[in-house]
Amino acid sequence: MAKRTPSIDTKNLTAVQLMELDSCVRCGECVKWCPTYAASGQKPGLAPRDKILRWRQYMNQSYGIKARLFGPQEIPKSELEEFKDDVHGCTTCGICSTVCEAGINTVELWESMRANLVKKGIGPYGKQNMFPKLIGQYHNPYMKDQKDRLAWVPPDVKIENKADIVYFTGCTAGYNQLALAYATSRVLNKLGIKFAMLGEEEWCCGSALIRTGQAHINDVPRETAKHNVEAIQKKGAKKVLFACAGCFRAAKVDWPRLLGKELPFEVVHVSEFLAGLIKEDKIKWEKSINKTITYHDPCHLGRHVGVFDAPRYVLSHIPGVKFVEMDRVKEFQRCCGAGGGVKAGIPDLAMAVAESRVKDAVETNADILSSCCPFCKRNLMDGRDSLKVDMVVEDVIELVAEALGLETK
Amino acid sequence: MAYFSGLTDALRITFVQIMILSTIAIVIFLYGMMINFQKWGAGAIGYALEPQEGKKGSAITFLKTWWNQVTEESHHGHGKPILEVLILDVLFQRRILKRSPIRWFMHFTIFVGWMTLFALSGLMFAVEMTEKIGIELPFTPAEFRDMLSLPNYIFGYVLLIGVLIAIVRRLFVSEVREASIMYDWVLIGVVFLVTISGFVADGIRTGIIWDFGLDPSVAPPAALFHSVISLLFCIAFIPYSKYIHIIATPLAILANKGGE
Repeated sequence: MAKRTPSIDTKNLTAVQLMELDSCVRCGECVKWCPTYAASGQKPGLAPRDKILRWRQYMNQSYGIKARLFGPQEIPKSELEEFKDDVHGCTTCGICSTVCEAGINTVELWESMRANLVKKGIGPYGKQNMFPKLIGQYHNPYMKDQKDRLAWVPPDVKIENKADIVYFTGCTAGYNQLALAYATSRVLNKLGIKFAMLGEEEWCCGSALIRTGQAHINDVPRETAKHNVEAIQKKGAKKVLFACAGCFRAAKVDWPRLLGKELPFEVVHVSEFLAGLIKEDKIKWEKSINKTITYHDPCHLGRHVGVFDAPRYVLSHIPGVKFVEMDRVKEFQRCCGAGGGVKAGIPDLAMAVAESRVKDAVETNADILSSCCPFCKRNLMDGRDSLKVDMVVEDVIELVAEALGLETK
Repeated sequence: MAYFSGLTDALRITFVQIMILSTIAIVIFLYGMMINFQKWGAGAIGYALEPQEGKKGSAITFLKTWWNQVTEESHHGHGKPILEVLILDVLFQRRILKRSPIRWFMHFTIFVGWMTLFALSGLMFAVEMTEKIGIELPFTPAEFRDMLSLPNYIFGYVLLIGVLIAIVRRLFVSEVREASIMYDWVLIGVVFLVTISGFVADGIRTGIIWDFGLDPSVAPPAALFHSVISLLFCIAFIPYSKYIHIIATPLAILANKGGE
């Protein structure tokens, strides 16, 4: 009789991650905080603790002592398919990692599990499987023409051919949420900051592929990271500004990792940049925004890389703004529900999480729910519309533009 | 030298016999750890990589990967100095305290009680070994055992407090009880058994509090039972059960530089 082979392998899972499975003490903190578990009506399979338990069992069935003595135990394909659904029902927001008593880096664990299963032909989830083709072929996930990368640029915006600063627009702001791009470029112009843009040479940051476990397919994220870094270098940039939290996280964490070296320029989120200018007293506000504003921390800007204070600093310095906090903020923030491929793959779940977050904002009686990420903005707007709530959802940079007397249309 | 524990009062266990039992427990522990290290070592050596084709998992791969992660710079900006992580997150268990002071108190008392009793047993062993190899100490092993009696009591009670809180939580807090699986029950059940058997064995011998009216003649087998299950569960069983977190959790916390 042929010797059975294990039903799972360890591709993409590091030796430390395999150990982390055994370090989980099942305290249940992750379950208490997980936004998708809550929004799904507490579907047991979505609980982070449960995912760790199941993969640990798979490892023991395949490589544990019983497997060594008596051969690996078969794991039915249907079980792995179900696990795939559950591991993709996660926005990779990272709250489970923040509250984990064992300090497990859960975000990277989920990403590794996803990649492992995708390599096995199980997953990704739903429409997420279009990402490699779209990003590989079109260099953006929206099937837009690269020639139109700068089609949004209005005549009043001045872009340098080369400059110390490059504004990396991102696919979502450059093609779909133009208000963010208008606001960022006009604010920089107004403040006298000379900046260049990559135009046709700007490719997708690759975040969607990495988060959904598809980074290995044709090596697209590495290719896009390499291309973007070279294009940025050609512009002579010493500093790259990002107004999209997803792109910012990708450039800050994923690009150096993919390329195996530190980037030859500084990666800065526009909120950090503006906070610096405010501290140097270089911003002269022209209008007051007499509104109550609350702020939603994008996971990719906050928990993933630790930028919590800069957006708050900017908002609280806009004249007339009354800044209020929601119940769950900073490292304990509740995700908007859009990340990790959930918006594309499981839109109903994304919507349910967004509704929870909008309810948090409603409790503050704020007029405006602000954020620093076009994905968060889109999903929070969807959540707001679904709940029929009368609240404006706007990016921090749009509010800055307004306070500087600039148009965002 | 004969120990107090034994099958009967006349058949007391000897130093050699306890050494044999200890060695068996350590061998079972080491075998289990080797399997675990090899299982973990079957993973890749870095994020988004694949394990080497056709290569079996090895302990060396695991240890190298772990050490590389401990020493590499964090791109996330979350990393804390290793000494801070070791003292505050591993020993003081700050991450638990941040989440739940009650659960921290429970876990910390178990940790302190357990580790101190383990260390005191190690000290006792060291004194016995010193005597065996002929080095003279200012006290005999029997005198030293008497000196350890009070700290053993104190830390035994510290451990017991933590264990009782853990059991009460698991039995009477509905969200904890409903989420509990055998993996969890075995851990707490075994700690409870080891702790209580220690108190009972000592109680029968001394006739204080924990004797439950039992005949003093059963004191040696009760002590032997405690010794055997302590060796079995506190050493040999670690790699095969939830006890593995005693090793894996500090390693994970260190690898992730204290976590987020």
